Amino acid sequence: MLNKVTLIGNLGADPEVRYMPNGEAVASIRLATTMRWKDKQTGERKTSTEWHRVVFFRRLAEVAGEYLKKGSQVYVEGRLRTNKWQGQDGQDRYTTEIVAEEMHMLGSRSGGTANYSDNQPASSASRASGASSSEPPMQSAPPAYEDFDDDIPF
Amino acid sequence: MASRGVNKVILLGRLGADPDIRYLPNNGGKVVAIRLATSEVWKDQAKAKQEHTEWHRLVFFKKLADTAEQYLRKGSKIYVEGSLRTQQWDKNGEKRYRTEVVVRELQMLDRADENGAPRHSSQPSTPPTAANDAGLDEDFDDIPFF
Repeated sequence: MLNKVTLIGNLGADPEVRYMPNGEAVASIRLATTMRWKDKQTGERKTSTEWHRVVFFRRLAEVAGEYLKKGSQVYVEGRLRTNKWQGQDGQDRYTTEIVAEEMHMLGSRSGGTANYSDNQPASSASRASGASSSEPPMQSAPPAYEDFDDDIPF
Repeated sequence: MASRGVNKVILLGRLGADPDIRYLPNNGGKVVAIRLATSEVWKDQAKAKQEHTEWHRLVFFKKLADTAEQYLRKGSKIYVEGSLRTQQWDKNGEKRYRTEVVVRELQMLDRADENGAPRHSSQPSTPPTAANDAGLDEDFDDIPFF
């Protein structure tokens, strides 16, 4: 059985970091992946942006919280997970997210990339200072998940 | 300029039910939806075997929809590649979301039987029970398919 997701996209907002009672960090981000193509019939250039909710745990969450910013470009590898919860009306709701297992920071202004995996301790070496150099795909992204915006599915 | 993104999903699992076949309005073509289970097995700290089944909604269009309709059945084991898509709709003034995998590539992993026909599902290859998935279907039935 295989459940694997690979994403390269840009953060729509700064990461949100929380801590579990046992002290472990949990970070979540909204990531936009943009697809561009040319319409075969009209020749028109088209783009479509998809938003994903990505969660990081433990060391990876600390790294994400520290180095990722709104607009950062990032490579994420992980697995799909659908959580069930109850709405105010008592009915079941489902939220699908990507549980990150590996993360690579891209687009660093220093030219380097920083690679972290959940399985090994991250080196404190290269710092992703180039967050502001990459354009966020949507300027109007809300600052937090709770501020549900019309266009953003999280 | 923001560079081109990547949105790729790879799943290998079994169908929890026969495919659901629908037609888009205005001759928009066929859409086949399936529920796919991927199971993870691991040992916890006490060396006890743990298992977790994750359910995914997959959709097929065009030729892949024909193939899925014709060959896939409950229990079929498949490999798929596709991309994530989250749809949004309103229900009683509240926004609802559903994430699904739009399949671009399909590999059927069940061996064909002697006649060359795909093996029907209900055999040894029993899929994980779809107990906690019933709610998914109910909820999804309320929404416009596309």
